[in-house]
Amino acid sequence: MPVSLRLAADIGGTFTDVAAFDEASGRLTLGKVLSTPGALVDGIETGATKAGANFRETGLFLHGSTVAINTILERTGAKAALLITEGFRDIYEIGRVNRPDAYNLFFTKHRPLVPREHRYEVHERLYATGEVLNPLDEDEIVALAETLKRERIEAVAVLFLHCYRNPDHEQRAKQILQTRLPGVFVTTSHELSQEYREFERASTVAANAYIGPRVASYLSGISDHLTRAGFGGAFLVVQSTGGLFELHQAREQCVRMLESGPASGVMATRAVAQETGIANAIAFDMGGTTAKAGVIENGQVLTTGTALVGGYESALPIQIPMIDIFEVGTGGGSIARVVEGGALHVGPESAGAQPGPACYGLGGREPTVTDANLVLGRLSPDRFLGGEMLLDVKAAERALYTHVAQPLGMSIVEAAAGIIDIAVTKMSYAVKGVTTQRGLDVGKFTLAAYGGAGPLHATAIARELGITRVLIPQAPGHFSAVGMLHSDLRYDFVRTRFTKLSELDFSAFENIFVELEAEGSRKIREARVPVRETYIARSLDMRYVGQEHLVSIDIPAEHFSGQDRAAIKRLFDSEHERRYGTSAPAEAAEIASLRTAVTGILEKPKFESIASGGLSPLPDAQRGTRQTYFSGAFVGTTVFAREKLLAGNRISGPAVVEEHASTTILMPGDVLTVDALGNLLIAIGDAA
Amino acid sequence: MSEFRVTPVLVEIVRNGVIAVTEEMKTNLMRTAYNMIIYEALDFTVGLFTAEGETVSISLGLPTFIRGMAETIKAKLKHFGREGIEPGDILVTNDAYITGSHLNHFTFSIPIFHEGDLIGFSCCMAHWQDVGGQLGGVTTDIFSEGIQIPIVKYARRGVINQDLIDIIRMNVRIPERAMGDLRAQITAVKTGERRFLELVNRYGRKEVQGAIAILMDQSEKAARARTRAIPDGIYEAESFMDDDGVVIGVPIPIKVRVEVKGDEITIDLSDVSKQVRGFYNSGITTGTACAQVAFKCLTSPTDYPINDGSFRNLKVIIPPGRVISATRPAPMRWWMTFPMTVIDTVFKAMADAISDKVIAGHHADLCVSLVHGIDPKDGKFFLAHMGPLGGGWGAKYNSDGESATVCINDGDTHNSPREQLETKYPLLIERYALIPDSGGPGKYRGGLGCETVVRALSDVTLNASIDRAHCLPWGLDGGLEGTGNQVLLRRNGEWDKERVNAKVLTAPLKPGDAYALRSGGGGGFGSPLERPPERVAADVRQGYVSLAAARDYYGVVLDPVTFAVDVAATTTERTALAETHKRRVASQKAPMKGLTATELAAKRAEHPPIPCLRISCCGMASFSFLEEDDLSA
Repeated sequence: MPVSLRLAADIGGTFTDVAAFDEASGRLTLGKVLSTPGALVDGIETGATKAGANFRETGLFLHGSTVAINTILERTGAKAALLITEGFRDIYEIGRVNRPDAYNLFFTKHRPLVPREHRYEVHERLYATGEVLNPLDEDEIVALAETLKRERIEAVAVLFLHCYRNPDHEQRAKQILQTRLPGVFVTTSHELSQEYREFERASTVAANAYIGPRVASYLSGISDHLTRAGFGGAFLVVQSTGGLFELHQAREQCVRMLESGPASGVMATRAVAQETGIANAIAFDMGGTTAKAGVIENGQVLTTGTALVGGYESALPIQIPMIDIFEVGTGGGSIARVVEGGALHVGPESAGAQPGPACYGLGGREPTVTDANLVLGRLSPDRFLGGEMLLDVKAAERALYTHVAQPLGMSIVEAAAGIIDIAVTKMSYAVKGVTTQRGLDVGKFTLAAYGGAGPLHATAIARELGITRVLIPQAPGHFSAVGMLHSDLRYDFVRTRFTKLSELDFSAFENIFVELEAEGSRKIREARVPVRETYIARSLDMRYVGQEHLVSIDIPAEHFSGQDRAAIKRLFDSEHERRYGTSAPAEAAEIASLRTAVTGILEKPKFESIASGGLSPLPDAQRGTRQTYFSGAFVGTTVFAREKLLAGNRISGPAVVEEHASTTILMPGDVLTVDALGNLLIAIGDAA
Repeated sequence: MSEFRVTPVLVEIVRNGVIAVTEEMKTNLMRTAYNMIIYEALDFTVGLFTAEGETVSISLGLPTFIRGMAETIKAKLKHFGREGIEPGDILVTNDAYITGSHLNHFTFSIPIFHEGDLIGFSCCMAHWQDVGGQLGGVTTDIFSEGIQIPIVKYARRGVINQDLIDIIRMNVRIPERAMGDLRAQITAVKTGERRFLELVNRYGRKEVQGAIAILMDQSEKAARARTRAIPDGIYEAESFMDDDGVVIGVPIPIKVRVEVKGDEITIDLSDVSKQVRGFYNSGITTGTACAQVAFKCLTSPTDYPINDGSFRNLKVIIPPGRVISATRPAPMRWWMTFPMTVIDTVFKAMADAISDKVIAGHHADLCVSLVHGIDPKDGKFFLAHMGPLGGGWGAKYNSDGESATVCINDGDTHNSPREQLETKYPLLIERYALIPDSGGPGKYRGGLGCETVVRALSDVTLNASIDRAHCLPWGLDGGLEGTGNQVLLRRNGEWDKERVNAKVLTAPLKPGDAYALRSGGGGGFGSPLERPPERVAADVRQGYVSLAAARDYYGVVLDPVTFAVDVAATTTERTALAETHKRRVASQKAPMKGLTATELAAKRAEHPPIPCLRISCCGMASFSFLEEDDLSA
């Protein structure tokens, strides 16, 4: 055992977070530095140094980054081409023809990442059964390779219809292209998704090609740098599922790491929940422009099969498994505005970091959620970001007065409180989106809040939803990096095989499952990381015959080995009942796709305990009192410094707990207990 | 009664709250529905209404169903009386003259009671795939269109009316699907009831009702302010539909008149055609909806949700008996097509007054096809609804039109994955593509239409009831028209030579035969001679515009290989085109008429009495798929 350090680095738009875990000593250290756009590796290096880590001693390097998603959002990807079945050149541009903003004549639909001039048709065609109608014209691919060379194409995506039934044509085309176009990034749709829906698959493979060269060279750059610094361990990357995959997979299947940052936060929540014996938790992350919510039910993270990149009206779909995260455009920077007619809106426009809220004094004139919090005494004007930034209360009041209070005939305080109330109800819909709307009883969940603004609003959101327990983890600002240390290797597979449940050929399905799972196990072995055990989770995407929308049903292995159709049907009926409040046990069901996730479970760091103390916090944990507004009046409220709190301390609301990049609010009636690991557990008082 | 106070904050919370309720109703309906028309085409609308049937919030679905549910609830209230409606009741009807649409639109409502008082309704309309009646063809009265359910109770005080279910089951072709959709609708209205009561219990009944009243007032204020910004005046425009499917080749006139005076607006649709013999009629609720949709788009498209406050300053005039205010027993099955053109014509009328709010003409048809037959896989009857094709949208004063997007009758409506259609039905999709040169030339170009070619793999029957083949999506402010909608058949390897319109009301296809649907392109905005040559070159590079069209319509001369702009030749060409362009713009003013006897005599034998749209003959974009080796070979 030469090296015992496990290093996790999460590169976000603003900060690079590094978490280092020493397996030998059990120590976890954290480092946070500003991201260095030109040379992201430097940020990792600095962060690692801050965290006291050395690459030579590192056995495992874990990485998540916004590079993939930003390449799409900023449109800075490769000059890419799309090869597609004859007759279907335009499906990537046509999309699903929907027009969500029904009355807006100035709508814009999605903009493809590959322009039409670089979408080429290929003479080949399969029937829906996978049988060949027109064989692949290999000479045509060879000729196309010459065209692509002439056009200086850097990445090629291949999508053929029905490849999920028969990937031969895509595979052969890839072989030819790779031979003819050395150095060009070649990717095929079936490698990413073996699920029907040609537009979504086209969008997925085109996105992979578009971001491929940049992401691959980014990852190689980090890998080379680490190697030069003496790193000889395994390099794993976080996927949007929260699972890890091996570097060379990540370099080819770059779209799988699109949402690695948010996914890591959910994985961290899962780890903390597990450690504290919480089976059901909501991972709630609120930053400057958005709030996001994911769900852990019975210790498992809920996932989805497709995500949309960009706003819904013009989104590019990505059809791969991901953590199911519901997002609303409400954050600390959300602007409050009175619109024509007199309605008060909060968001989705955000002041962002520039000009930022009015209280930043950087030129922002309109009031934001952060300004409202400041005026209500929930944020300290001189301890924001540990005092690195002074907040201007007068500027916040001025903005609130001019843009909200005066036009609506309210006081400044009423306006501020109202803005928070509106923001809280909007964010509560994000949480409902992942719970109530899926048939889950939100009251049974613990709300784990992180991100800069999460702890500030958590107790109010919990009240809104009837949630009785809130958890504020240690270091909510480093949460994603910590989450990576608690992730596992994971390979997901999906195959579309339309079949009625009554006609299901169990042995054929079993063969597919076994083949996929063997591939997953092989990839886990190739990652060269010690795995405690391998865990397989099978599921079927099912629906009633005639329905379109699918419900993913976890299938215990014995239902397959026992060929128990009735049991599978019962599982489906009850899940349908749970999610939608209706089921039809008398109706036949069918299967659209089968899924399996192969997980290689890694050893996890232990969370470190903090020093313990008595029920009452030590006197030096108190920073004095501040006038803070709670339901109708300002009250003198004690402010605590989180780093001075000890395990076992108890605080009754109203109270404010401050730490470097975050503030937790306890409302009257709430009771906070510091647990052994330093998490703040809050029992919500009866709703006022 | 205790005192209550409605703050602007509560109003906003309730606004978000009622939207969330209707969004969840929509999600549940979509996810549990059985037929593609609901789950993909989103041919449904869910909503919350006051105890009087006023719209509080609706989630669409169909923009043109903006009125249907409120009017249906009002009719139900009138039928039973307020005291005749009890907790546990579920009311239903598919009366086409009440919903304003067709018999497929089953509309369920649950009265919401709070502490014993009726406080509102949760309602769901959704399109059932089959409600019996004549299969294919064109209907000429309501009785041939399927089962009619007057206003009745599906459930009375919680007890379901099994007799009604039995009657429905016996009258529809695929009863298990119909029952699946029925269950999905009940789920949706129950969700609405439950969530609305949660809101009421959380904030108080009077508070929520007070907030709703203020919400409507706010929408009204915004609508009035936007109306005041429109110059006073009378604005008129006209267009036409191809025909009614029965009397072929005789256009149906659509004339609209808009009067703006201060903050009040009147949309007068009296001069829209009288009701017609074929199934293109719709009821007065839809006629009213046409005016409301147009008004909403022009005044508050994005900042206020739909509620009845939005329309208080809008007066709509429609006498009964028009094609959009049809009376029993007019046939209504294809109700949705004509109203779209009425809406588009209102935009056209307003173009001079508010050129920065309107849009040039769009393809204005769903361009759907229905295919039925016996599936050789299982020997069972199937009815495939092929979903909307998407087509070209009009350009605007500052931007090009969008391509391949569903028409204004529909909103968040999706097409169906071709891979799924091929899996479900004995069909092979040979092609789904944009049509180059279909977008109307302009300083801002119209969006492109689409074409699809569908091959039968067994014996099937095709029905397509598409209009707007002849009334092309018009340009505005010097922009030119896009292309029209089309249907063509390929039988025994031969494509049609001619078709008089885009209607194929029943056509058997043998294995290997195929049909093509082509949606129109949007109209252009501003003169194409003013489009920057680089933008024209970019369009040619991408294949949206051909080299020939770049020269002939935009006056831009490009190198055929590099697409570099020949500046000198372009200047010359643009000068030379100026007069021709003026004539082209002027020719759009008059609706397309039938050919004169002399003109017709100059055409080949059996030419239809109206322009045929063939580029080789009457002029239209080429058929890209006909020029290539098609897959049938």
